[in-house]
This record gives sequence, C-alpha cells and structure tokens, in this order.
Amino acid sequence: MKKTGVGLLVATALWLVPIQSWAGSKASVGASASASASADTSSGEADASGDAAATGSGDAAAGEGEGATPGGDKVPGGDVPGGEGLEDICKIDPTACPNLDMDKEAARQFKEPLYAVQQIFALRVRRFELNPWWGISLNDQFVSHPGPGLALNYYISNVLFVGLNGEYYQPFNQDQAFNSQVRRAARVAVPLTEYQWMANLNVGYVFAYGKFAFLSDFIFQYDAYVVGGVGMIFNRPIPVIDPDNRNFEYKGHLSGNAGIGLRVWVNRWFAITTELRDYMFADQLENLEVALPPEDKNPSTWYDQDSYFTHNVQAQVGASIFIPFSFDYRLPK
Amino acid sequence: MREGPGMKTKTRNLTTRLLAAALAVAAALTVTSHADAQEILLTGPLAGAPAVRKLRLHRQGRFEITPSATFTLLDEYQRTILLGAKLGYNFTDWLQFGVWGGYGAIHMSTYLTDQIQDQNALRRQRDITDTERRLTALNLGPDFNDQLGSMDWIVSPQLSITPFRGKLALFQSIYIDTDLYIFGGVGIIGLTERADCTECIPANNGTFPMASRTAIAPTFGPALSFYINNWAALNLEWRFLPFSWNTGGFDTAGGGKDGEFPDNKISDADRRFHFQQLLSVGFVINLPTKTKLSE
Repeated sequence: MKKTGVGLLVATALWLVPIQSWAGSKASVGASASASASADTSSGEADASGDAAATGSGDAAAGEGEGATPGGDKVPGGDVPGGEGLEDICKIDPTACPNLDMDKEAARQFKEPLYAVQQIFALRVRRFELNPWWGISLNDQFVSHPGPGLALNYYISNVLFVGLNGEYYQPFNQDQAFNSQVRRAARVAVPLTEYQWMANLNVGYVFAYGKFAFLSDFIFQYDAYVVGGVGMIFNRPIPVIDPDNRNFEYKGHLSGNAGIGLRVWVNRWFAITTELRDYMFADQLENLEVALPPEDKNPSTWYDQDSYFTHNVQAQVGASIFIPFSFDYRLPK
Repeated sequence: MREGPGMKTKTRNLTTRLLAAALAVAAALTVTSHADAQEILLTGPLAGAPAVRKLRLHRQGRFEITPSATFTLLDEYQRTILLGAKLGYNFTDWLQFGVWGGYGAIHMSTYLTDQIQDQNALRRQRDITDTERRLTALNLGPDFNDQLGSMDWIVSPQLSITPFRGKLALFQSIYIDTDLYIFGGVGIIGLTERADCTECIPANNGTFPMASRTAIAPTFGPALSFYINNWAALNLEWRFLPFSWNTGGFDTAGGGKDGEFPDNKISDADRRFHFQQLLSVGFVINLPTKTKLSE
C-alpha cells in the first residue's frame, strides 16, 4: 500500500506539471494572462483569473504570491508555498528569468492573422433562391398595382443567376380618388388600366457586396444585383369614357424588364430583399372617342389605335430562402 | 493493546482513501484551472478592445457642406427640381445636426397637365355659354399651367443618425466606405397656390390670382453616403414630406354632407393630402479634409 500511495502522489505531480506548463504558455499572450494564470497555479483559486483578465493586471494574485524579477519588476506568482516559483527560477538561471515590461507588451501592436481573401459569408453557387415578395407600383398616380409575387432563381456561379418570376395583381388594383376628382373638375378623363398577372424569364448578376456594422456592433452582410428579362403581362383598360358599353377582357403583352436589387443576409440561407424593377411593355389604352351607335358596341372601336410604351416601375420587398440551406466552402479559411 | 494486522490494514485503507480524495480534488482543481487558462486567452489582450481598430471616422467633429439637386417624385401636374445644399455638423460619428434647403429652380409639367391644357384650349374656343366651358369655368383658367401649385423653396432643420456603416465592393475590385443613415426634422415649405376665393370666376375670363403661403410638415427618410476619399462623398437622400396642398388649383371639396363635394369656392378644404417624396443627389464635402482614425 505504501507503493500505492507514492504512486498516486507521483501521478498527481505528473498531472499537475503540464498544467503549469499550459498556464505558462498562456502567459506569453499578455500581461493579464500571465497574472491570472500564475495566480491560479499558485493559489488554486479558480475564480481569481476572471478578475485578473478583466482588470488586465496581476491583482488577482495579490496576497497569494508576488515575486520580483532581477530588474525590480514584480512578477505575480513569485512566492509559491513550497518554495517553487519564478524567483527560484531566477536564482537558478538568471538568463531564463522572465524580464518583460508588461506595459510595453500590453501596448504592443497585436498582429491578428489576416487572410488574403476572406470567405464570402454565404455562397450562392449551385443553390436555388425562393423569393416571395410584395410589389408596390411607384409611378402610377392613377391606379396602383400592388400584389404578391414569387421568384425562383438558380445560381450558375456565385454571381450569375437565371430564374423565373411572376406577380398576381387582379384583386389588388386601386383606382385612386384623384381620378374622379380630375374628371369632375376638368372634365378630362385619363385612360386607366388594371393588371391581372405577369410572368418573366430573367438573368441576373451580383455586382456588389459588402457589410454594414449596426451601431458598431452587429455586422450584417449584403449584396446588390442587377436583373433583367422578358415575359408577358396581362392587363385591360378600366372603362371610364363609355362604361355603359365597354367591357374589356384581359390581354397579354410582351414585356421586358430591368431592375436593381439589394439583399441583406440574416443568416446563410435567409435574406431580406428589396428590388426596384421596371416592367416595360406596349400598352393598349381605352379609346377617348366613342363611336356612333351601333358601332359603339363593337369591341374593335373601344381601343385607341395607337399603342403606348408603358413603364410599370415597382418596388418589391420580400424574403429570400436559399436551398440547400447549407453549403461547403471549397477551400479552408 | 497490541496492534493487530487488521487494524493496520484499516489505517492503510484510510490513507489510501485520503490520497484518492486529494487526487480527486486536485483533478477537479486541475480541470478548473485549465478552463481558466483558456478563458484568459480569450479575454486577455483583446479584453475591452474596440470591435474595429483604426476606423476611419468620416464624420466625428467635422462640418459637412453638400450641394444637392432634389427631384420631386410621383407628381400629378408638375415636377420640381430644387437646387440647394445641406450644412451640418457631426457631434459624433453617428449624430449630426444640420439644415437642408432648396430653391425650386425648375418646374416641368406632366403629361396629364398637357392633356388637360389641350382640352382646355379647345374648349375655350367655344362660346362662353357652351356647357363644357361653363362647367369648367371655375376650375380652369386660360392656361392650366398658370394655376398649378408649386413648391418654391424648402428649408429643413434636421437630425441625422448613422446607425449603419460599412463598405461596398463593386465588381470585386472597387471598395468604398458606405454609410446608411436616417434623418428627421421639420420641413418649412414655401408654396404658391391658387388664392382662396368665393367669387372665383374672374372678369373677362382672366387668369386666376395666386397666393403664397408657408406650410410646416414633418420630414424624414433614409439616405446613403458613398465615400470617394477622405473628404468627399456622393450622397443620396430619399425624403418624405407629408402635407396638404392644392396642386391643381381645383375646387375639389368643401360642399355636401361630408364636405367631399365642390362648393364653388377655393379654400383650404380643397387642399388634398400628399405624401410628397423627393430624391436628393448631393456631393458631400467634409471639413476639415483630414479624416481621424479611431484607436
């Protein structure tokens, strides 16, 4: 049993030796680390290091051991019960004695490792983007065309995508009171149009990305992109010139679109998006002239003979969900 | 009493237990001190350090002069371009007090105005007793453009708060510092509108008299600044200015049970609420021209 006891003591000693080494290696990080690590070792007080780290000094070890270097600098943890400590090291080998100016070390420029190319926060390549949005018309004072929309994009590369989008307008068109006020005051009718739905095939390019710090604390990533495409938009005039006889059907028009978007990433698969998009098409408006009966009931006389190039500029605010949710970087950090 | 072997064994067992207990305590303390050593690494030299070192303080303690052109948006009858400037002082890197002002230098009619005037011109060729002409006599003078409400000038003392700052990479090659800020203040707007009247059809069908007034409204919006260098930046401000005014000079309301029908008068009841929107493009000059760096 004597051997057992000795063996346990040796095992304990061997176990503790590396601990001192680890704490010692942390001491090179900075003054506070040195102070607290030494304090822990000497006193065995676990919570002493927290204060030391917070205050950036060796106070935590005060009363439990402070030694002095040959240069006169106090080195925390010098007097260790049992006669072991930095002071003894200094006595045995003065060249190995730590002789650091802690203030100078603390003020030294901290060289954080920086990578030449930082990893992009969220890779888009080979991922699908599902983007539901709510659209608001920006350039039609007479009839606003809000509505829900959906886009599905696929990223061929990290910056290039192709996709489809569409919007449903029919129940949401709003004929503004301003129209009736103008008709009443000036006896001038403005041809009005309401939309039904649209669909487009698009190509986009992410031309800019960056990050913002909110109150110098929370950092979020964003990117900006341009997008354009072709599609169809279905609409019809709202009869205001001869509402008794005219009843228009929805008709499709070939349209082109171009826009710019901003995407703010919440995490690596979810983002908030805002787009400014111009859907352009040649529109057919209601004829301001009313044909004489019985031709006034002929639908071919209801439309203006000319077509009008129309811009439907929309703000589209929505969310982006990237699928798959996770991805692997090709290279390590 | 003679010590027997059994007693010796008990003493040894006790010693072993004490040693084991000491070992366990030592192990527990060892684990704790190990964790503390890691904690020290995390909170050592970076404890209390700022999130960003050597941060360019584009605004703190600097004056800002921003010549700007401001465009009104979603106008019914007349678009206005205001030429002006913003002057401001940044108390901190996130708080600025300033004054923005603009003079309505350019007014352009919209397509609707042109259409109304085309019809008006045709109508005025008819006899004065013609129904169409008679029904619009109170609302349309010889030239519709002459009776349009216009924004002549705007002055707005305002506070700007910059909660977002960051950088933007363009085409993965051009990197610029960017701020996103919000502003809010009081808008003082110099307007010209059709003058109030009760007998509103001028003799000999002359033009309607106009009057100036000053409206006060809240103003607010988001804005972006893109820094070109240490002292210059491009600036975009989207300004909201909600207030009521009579943009067309029409008798729109004031009569009927709910006051929503014409009353053959021009009065403040004819002013319609507009959520006026303006877009400013500016060139920011920061003084002094040298940028300070944070620690």
